[in-house]
Amino acid sequence: MATDALRAQVAAKWQESFARLNQNEPGIVGLLNFSQAWDIARECIRPRGLDEPDPSTRNVDRSKFQASFELLNRCRRLPILLESFLEDMRKRFLVIEEEVKEFLLEYERTSNTTVILNLVFRLLQWYKKWLPMQELGATLHSAFVLSFQTHLFSVLTPTFVRGFKELCASTLPSADPETSDPAPNVEMWQAFETLGLLDRYENIIASVGYEHIEAHVVATCTGQWSESMLGQLRKWMTDKVVPWMLLMYARNATTADDARAMLQNVGSRFDFHMAKTLCDLRTKEIFDIIIDYPDSSGALQDLKECMHRVDQRASLVHTLRKANQKRLLHPGADTRLILTQYVAIIKCLRIVDPPGVLLFKVADPIRRYLRERPDTIRCIVSNLVGDDDGGDPLVDDNEPIQPLQHWELDDYTDPNWEPEPVDAGPDFRANKPSDVISTLVSIYDSRDLFVKELQVLLAQRLLAISDDNTEKVEKERRSIEILKIRFGEAALQVCEVMLKDMTDSKRIDGHVQSQKASIIHPTILSKHFWPMLEATDIGMPGQFRMFQEEYAKEFSAFKPDKKLRWLPHLGTVQLVLHLRDRTVEADVPPLEAAFIELFSQQDVWTLDELIANVGSSVDRTAALNALLTWVDLGVLKEQTENSFKLLEEAETAPEGARESRTVTRSVVELPPAPSVQQQQAEQMRVYWKFIEGMLTNLGSLSLDRIQSMLKLAPGYDQSIDQLSMFMEAARLEELVAVRDGMWKLASK
Amino acid sequence: MEQVTSSLAPSRATTLNKSGPASSSQSGAGSVTKRLGNELMTLMMSSSPGISAFPKTDSNLFDWIGTIEGAPGTVYAGLSFRISIHFPSNYPYVAPIIQFETPCYHPNVDLKTGTICLDILKDKWSAVYSVQTILISLQSLLGEPNNESPLNNDAATLWDNQEAFKVQLLRHYRPLKDDA
Repeated sequence: MATDALRAQVAAKWQESFARLNQNEPGIVGLLNFSQAWDIARECIRPRGLDEPDPSTRNVDRSKFQASFELLNRCRRLPILLESFLEDMRKRFLVIEEEVKEFLLEYERTSNTTVILNLVFRLLQWYKKWLPMQELGATLHSAFVLSFQTHLFSVLTPTFVRGFKELCASTLPSADPETSDPAPNVEMWQAFETLGLLDRYENIIASVGYEHIEAHVVATCTGQWSESMLGQLRKWMTDKVVPWMLLMYARNATTADDARAMLQNVGSRFDFHMAKTLCDLRTKEIFDIIIDYPDSSGALQDLKECMHRVDQRASLVHTLRKANQKRLLHPGADTRLILTQYVAIIKCLRIVDPPGVLLFKVADPIRRYLRERPDTIRCIVSNLVGDDDGGDPLVDDNEPIQPLQHWELDDYTDPNWEPEPVDAGPDFRANKPSDVISTLVSIYDSRDLFVKELQVLLAQRLLAISDDNTEKVEKERRSIEILKIRFGEAALQVCEVMLKDMTDSKRIDGHVQSQKASIIHPTILSKHFWPMLEATDIGMPGQFRMFQEEYAKEFSAFKPDKKLRWLPHLGTVQLVLHLRDRTVEADVPPLEAAFIELFSQQDVWTLDELIANVGSSVDRTAALNALLTWVDLGVLKEQTENSFKLLEEAETAPEGARESRTVTRSVVELPPAPSVQQQQAEQMRVYWKFIEGMLTNLGSLSLDRIQSMLKLAPGYDQSIDQLSMFMEAARLEELVAVRDGMWKLASK
Repeated sequence: MEQVTSSLAPSRATTLNKSGPASSSQSGAGSVTKRLGNELMTLMMSSSPGISAFPKTDSNLFDWIGTIEGAPGTVYAGLSFRISIHFPSNYPYVAPIIQFETPCYHPNVDLKTGTICLDILKDKWSAVYSVQTILISLQSLLGEPNNESPLNNDAATLWDNQEAFKVQLLRHYRPLKDDA
């Protein structure tokens, strides 16, 4: 089938090959020579067992090898030789594979890193054994290295990787300063290098380093907030980690400069990792760090520096918000605590991030939560006037008192102006380093609430001052003066009037007493300027009424254009009861006094009769409590249920302990002042008047129209949804009716 | 509280206005608006029975609508009358213009135009009067007409005969509708 042409071609190829191998030798001498050279060469580079002698040891052969290789080279048969060498290697590699398996099994059994080390050295032996002689050229050498590593890596199982990692870790300086560091095992690293393990497992070695750093940071820094740890950590890196790194990353370095240059890259990676670990740690601890402030300022400094290096701002915000949500903003936390922590957060985050972006993001939920708490304002205000029962004041005394700040537009002519930080949200308002009080007050949109609450508080405190304790009034005046600086003169005008009322009362009282001495000393309040005090219609019976009337008469003679309206329930009465066998002295609230006065008319009263004689508004429980005061003092006795008898003569039966209780029970509770909530209800009543007014005159109106018309009412700030709810409530009370979305007053 | 501060405010505002003549017209209108706002507040909170008034729109405080109920014990008892109140820009130095919108058969009220003849709305006007005082005056005027200077002579002559007067009154009266 073969054509002539094909035959001719094969013949030509044959001739050519023959000529090349035979090298123009006569006959087939050339061929024989070639065959011999081939055998020698193969023998020379054959992968041997470890116990076989090296071919190069016999010096005699050396020239022969040289000659053989030259011959093969001339015949251009070297590539074929290489191939067959690699093929041999592949076949022989099974031996190594077996050994590796044995070692790894051993390691799995013992978990001893020495096994791995031995394995590495064993592999190195093989490697050296098989390494072709340098004289044979670079091609052969590199082909060998490549092929050896390929085969090697293919047999190294994950178990080896694990062991390798352990082995590397064991070379690290120990965390415990007591034990001496392992001596640097240079040989081992060289073996790694030779076998190409360093390049292949670079990630693993790095991760060993990272894990070591992490462990060290966590071990040394957890809970250590009082001083900055970063400096110590950097020193530790230089002392302990850098020498370790030198072994592998700067192994070829000849000079110190060389080493430094080589380490620069990897060193900064390690430093970054250290900063990141510390940052993560502090982020995790941030809530407690803030609690510990100012004892934790070191940690905050660290955090600030780490933040510069590692961008973990978002994670810090996230963590802190979550911690706040979980640990702070729940019903179990006291409002005061929340405020204290909020102030601490403000201070801490100002250290970490002076522009205030972090603070803004973290504070938002806290502020929103505080706004919902009914007693937030009270807490802040009572703190402002220093009316706290223990606990740190929210404000440092040494913080300068300054007027509350408003959010101001940026002053673009300011040469120190800086743009907003990049991660600031769209509604971020540059928080100028304002004082804490301004920040707290700005929780609410309006300051009026604070001023109102301040009034309520001031009213409580002023009314609680019994006798003429000028000192206390002066104290209040001082705190009001300080607050004036913050809130401005105008806002606190009302408080000023209240204080003036106190001094005026004394003056008026002095005058009235000089006209006609009286045993009552009223505090005269200008009704409009005081918060709404709960009205009551306790009518003081008997001599009390007489005193009141006499006093009122003198007063109207002195101030004809004014009229006294008594609020007896806010006072206290000093009583001396003259009973048949004893006298009892007591400082009591007016209700008690009123009751005991009634007992001077008759000896036995029932509870209902007493209440009827004092004023029907008196709460039964309050009345009962008042009577029990006297029972405790041994003046009254409950005969039958709700019927009380005056004990003109002390009952002897009770033990002495009871007698000694005749000490005055000074239960001077703070007079009840309506809370902000009640005032809001009052506000709603005003709005209702307006709604009534507009519906009366304008007929039926849509909700939108009502909402817009309500703008005429001063201070109206409700949303249309709130209005809708309000109207719905009014509808249920049958005050209004709605048809087709138009509201009108219900026809009477 | 609010009442106190807001009632303090206008007096200060007016003194300020006098000192600055340049912006007098605008801030003058501002002070009138303020005064009207205060009057509205006072009126709303006063809860005087049978009288009420409210601005027509929230944008214009100068036009109000009022409602007057006849005082019990008079022929007007049980009837409600709607009136319109227009405040001039120089209020309260000039009296507001008030007219009955509901036809009102009354000696001092023009039955067709609703014009009212009341001295305090004319020459006896004083800046101390307010919407509230005007409304109270009008309410009492219903029960006690001034027959000396009648606008509606028929009504004036018929006044003495209360029953016949009531028939006439009801003939002209139209009850209020819901829409303004």
